[in-house]
Order: sequence, then structure tokens, then C-alpha cells
Amino acid sequence: MPDEREDIIERVADELRQPAPIGASFDARVMRVVRALPRHVRRSLWSRLTTPRAVTFTPLGGGLLAASLVLVVAFAAPHAYLDFKHARAANGILARSEAPAPQRVQFVLIAPTARKVAVVGDFNGWDATHAADQAQPRGGGVWSVTAQVPVGHHRYSFVVDDSLWMADPTAPRVIDNVYGLPNSTIIVGEQNP
Amino acid sequence: MDCSSDAAIVARVLRGDVESYGELVARYRDRYARYALHMLGNREDAEEAMQDAFARAYRSLVRCDDPDRFGAWLFRILVNRCRTLGARRGRRQRTFVADEVALHAAAEDHPAGRAAWREEIDRALERLRPEQREAFLLKYVEDLGYEEMSQLTGVGVSALKMRVMRACERLRELLSEVHNA
Amino acid sequence: MKLVVARFAVLLIALAPPLAAQDSRLATRLDPKTYAAVIAIVDSARAAKLPTAALVDKALEGAAKGSDGEKIVTAVRQLSERLGAARRSLGSASTADEIKAAALALDAGVSPRDLARLRAAAGKRQVTLSLAVLTDLIVREVPVATASNVVVSLARSGIRDSELTLFQRNVRQDIEHGADPSTAASTRARGLVLRASATSASKPQGNAPH
Repeated sequence: MPDEREDIIERVADELRQPAPIGASFDARVMRVVRALPRHVRRSLWSRLTTPRAVTFTPLGGGLLAASLVLVVAFAAPHAYLDFKHARAANGILARSEAPAPQRVQFVLIAPTARKVAVVGDFNGWDATHAADQAQPRGGGVWSVTAQVPVGHHRYSFVVDDSLWMADPTAPRVIDNVYGLPNSTIIVGEQNP
Repeated sequence: MDCSSDAAIVARVLRGDVESYGELVARYRDRYARYALHMLGNREDAEEAMQDAFARAYRSLVRCDDPDRFGAWLFRILVNRCRTLGARRGRRQRTFVADEVALHAAAEDHPAGRAAWREEIDRALERLRPEQREAFLLKYVEDLGYEEMSQLTGVGVSALKMRVMRACERLRELLSEVHNA
Repeated sequence: MKLVVARFAVLLIALAPPLAAQDSRLATRLDPKTYAAVIAIVDSARAAKLPTAALVDKALEGAAKGSDGEKIVTAVRQLSERLGAARRSLGSASTADEIKAAALALDAGVSPRDLARLRAAAGKRQVTLSLAVLTDLIVREVPVATASNVVVSLARSGIRDSELTLFQRNVRQDIEHGADPSTAASTRARGLVLRASATSASKPQGNAPH
């Protein structure tokens, strides 16, 4: 087959090979999504724990190990097994290997005098510095942001000017007896509009 | 095992250290963004495909047979995501020329002409059939061999060579006027 | 002497400290003492089959809100207790989201007995949204007993989630316009229950509530 790599094609390829960086804020968005997925936890550890292998001991070492084995197995075995099961069930969203994709949810706040508004919640580690969760001013004191929120029950709040925590006036509220700052609740379904 | 190798990071993630996955994201994000951008034609779709690919790779990480080649495995997922997203959305109007990095690089070399040439290339790429564009980008931009491309796409080597050839013919045809101007 | 030993026991000896699911975000955002205390609570919660992600989130929330370590540990411990009580009241087959929402309802003053009533009234349907609405009513100063009765009756009448969301919105707006919270909640609920029973009986309806 003739070499099709003529001059014009080479020039096209050279041009297209220019880097097209995305930037670090992309990483934060990906990691938010990833953190909401079921964690790779004890599956590989469990399979290592239960795979028998040959081990060589001296007579003394073997005797001591055998003596302690009963105690360790009696105590730690149910703990390890429960830990494996609960690591999956304890996920706050879904306890199956394929969680539904996060949904795009719009958050809106009317704050005419604000200079900066962010939405924080259990879906972004309550981190007001995430660039993707900074609201944009839309005019007339309206601020909005569309965030990726995993399916399920979440608590969140707005942070205005890096200091003022505000519950979402339009959303169901929750009490905070300890921290003393207000939160709102949102329940995201699998096909949230 | 080298602490920063792909295999080492994958092992840590599989042991529950989800934050280490961020190192893989940072490592491959820019490298593969170029392909997604050229394949889909705009940054928004490219970022969505990339994000989706990274999420899928994380979910399926235990099925990555060769963690030392995590990048190649991720790229295969991305190629598929680009196909799916491209088919679902059709082609949006290209906004790649609005990319500040590309414009800046173009302006430095040929302040007047390079940006226009880039725009012509983007328009021509857009007019290729998706499978031809995919084959062209993998061969000439990502510099893969035909065997690798075949493993990545599931398409036979002969078919891939045909697609590349037709893509080159079409690009030459579309760009010859600009080139000769 | 060769012994074939399950790797299981050898590694368990090596890992004698708790097999805690370490969250690296906690490690970076909490001081070591608070971190250790929180992880201990998380470990116990895991053993009790409770949703530990909620506890980690609670700690991160405290760190974000600038709370001191003692308050964070108190908040996490309280939440852990509530999660346990919620699970006992709603039943062990409840989802993590239901348990989290029920813990918030308990925080607001709902009794375990009313949680159990809600579960019974809802049948096989999820109660997460009902619990969120219940908590919201109480926060908006509907008396706990009234709010519980209202939400239980709505669950029993089988209204859809979309109607429940609309109910919450209408009650909120009524209160903002000056209505007594208890009256607003009861009135709106009565209308929905009536409509639901009329629909199920396939009879012509009276005027729908405004």
C-alpha cells in the first residue's frame, strides 16, 4: 500500500498533535464522581486472606502459632468477614457494584449583595473551594451552579462570600444541633431533570 | 515496585485508597484530552467523555489485566466513550478554535495564518465520517500501529488501513485549496 | 515442619489494629486526636452495619464549618447513635439513605415509634423522601406530633413522591405567607389524602385544594 503520508497530511498531523490540556479543575470533578462510587475495599484483601499457602515454621514457631491461632480466628474472623460485607453495605448510596451515574442538579440562590457563592455538601466533601461548584451570577442577584450529585439522599448548604452559611430557602431543611449552621436536604433520583 | 508506576497506583486504589486514583487522572488527563477534543469537536463533549471514561475505568479497575498498561486500557475505554457520545449527540458546532491554548500557540508561530489553517483542519476533520476520523487520529495523531489500533477498536487491520487511506484522500481533497492558497 | 496455614490468620495478626476504612480526606482535615476518635466511632458503626459514609461526611462538615475537634467527635458520636436507633426503628432491611434520613428525623425530635409507624404505613415503598419532608415540617415549626401524623397519613394514602415534593413546597409557601405552620400542614395534607382516596375509589372529585 502506498505511503499516504504526504506533505499535507504530515502538516495536518503536526498541527493536530499540539497539546490540548484540560487543566486541573477537571481532576476535581472526576474525583468527586469517583469518590461517590463504591470503593474498591476488601475484595482483594478477602481473597488474599482466604487463599491457603504453604508456610515453613520451626517446631517452636509452629507450636506458638498454633496456640495463638485459635484465639485470633475466634476473635478476628467474624470481624474481618463483617468488615468485608459492611464495606459494601456501608456505602451511603447503593450497595451494588454498578452505582447509577451522578445526576446534574441545579442549585439556585437569590443573593443580590453576594460577591461569591458556592454550594457545599456531602457530595463534595463540604469543600467550598471546588471550582466546579462555584455558582455564577446570572443577573438580578440570581446565582446558580449545576453540580454532579450522586443518586441518593444528601445534605448541602450555600456558602456566601466564604463565610456565611445559608440553607437553601426552597429546599427541605434539617436541624444541626451540634455545629449550629443550617443545612438543606436533597434527594436525587436516577433520572433527575 | 516503583511507587509512581501505574501498577503501583492501581494496587493502592484496589486496596481502598481512592485518592490515589487522582494521580492516574492527572497523569492521563492531558494526554488523552487531545484525542477526545479532535474526535468530538468541542471541549464540553470531550470533557464529558473523559470524565465518563475515568469513572468507568475506576469502576472496572479490578478487571484491568495489565495494570502497568493502565493508560492503554483507559484509552480503549475513552475511544468507546467518544464513539457513543459522538453517535448520541451528532456533531455539535466545533468550538475548538475558541480554545485559548491552541490559539496562543498558533499565533506565536504565524500570527496571521496559523489560526486560519487550524480552523480549516478542524472543519475538514468534522466532515470526515466518524470511523475515518477515528482511524486517522489514532494513526497519525496518536501514532499507533495498526495492530494496536485493531486491539483498541476491535476492527480488522485491513479495514483500518482502508479507513485511514480514505480519510487521507478526503482531507487532501478538502484542504488542497487552502494549502495552495 | 511445614504447615499449610490459611493466609487469613497470618494477615489478621499483622493487621491487629482495627480494619478501619481510612478516609484520607479525614486524615488531611482533622487533627490526629480528632481523627483517631472519629475513626474509632466509624469502626464501631461499621461493625453495627450502619452507613459509615454519613459519619465521615459529618466529620468533614464539621471541619469545613470550622468546628473544634471535640464538637466534631460529639457530632459524629451522636449521629452514630441516631443511625443505630434509626436502623432499629425502620428495620434492618432499610437502605442507607432511609437510615440517614431517619437519623435526621430523630434529631428533629421524631420518636422511634413514629418511624416505625411510617415504615408500616409506607409498605414496600421507600421512606427517604417522607422522612425528609417530616424533618422539614418540624424545622418549620409544625409540632412534632402533627408533622408525624400528617406524613404517616400521606404515606398510608399512597401519594407519589412528586406529590409529596409539591406538598412540602406548598406548605413552605403557606408558612412564608403567614399561615400557622400546623394549620398549613394539616390543611394541605387533608386535601391530598382526600384526592388520593377519591382517585382510588374512582368517584368524581370535589374542588381540588388550592
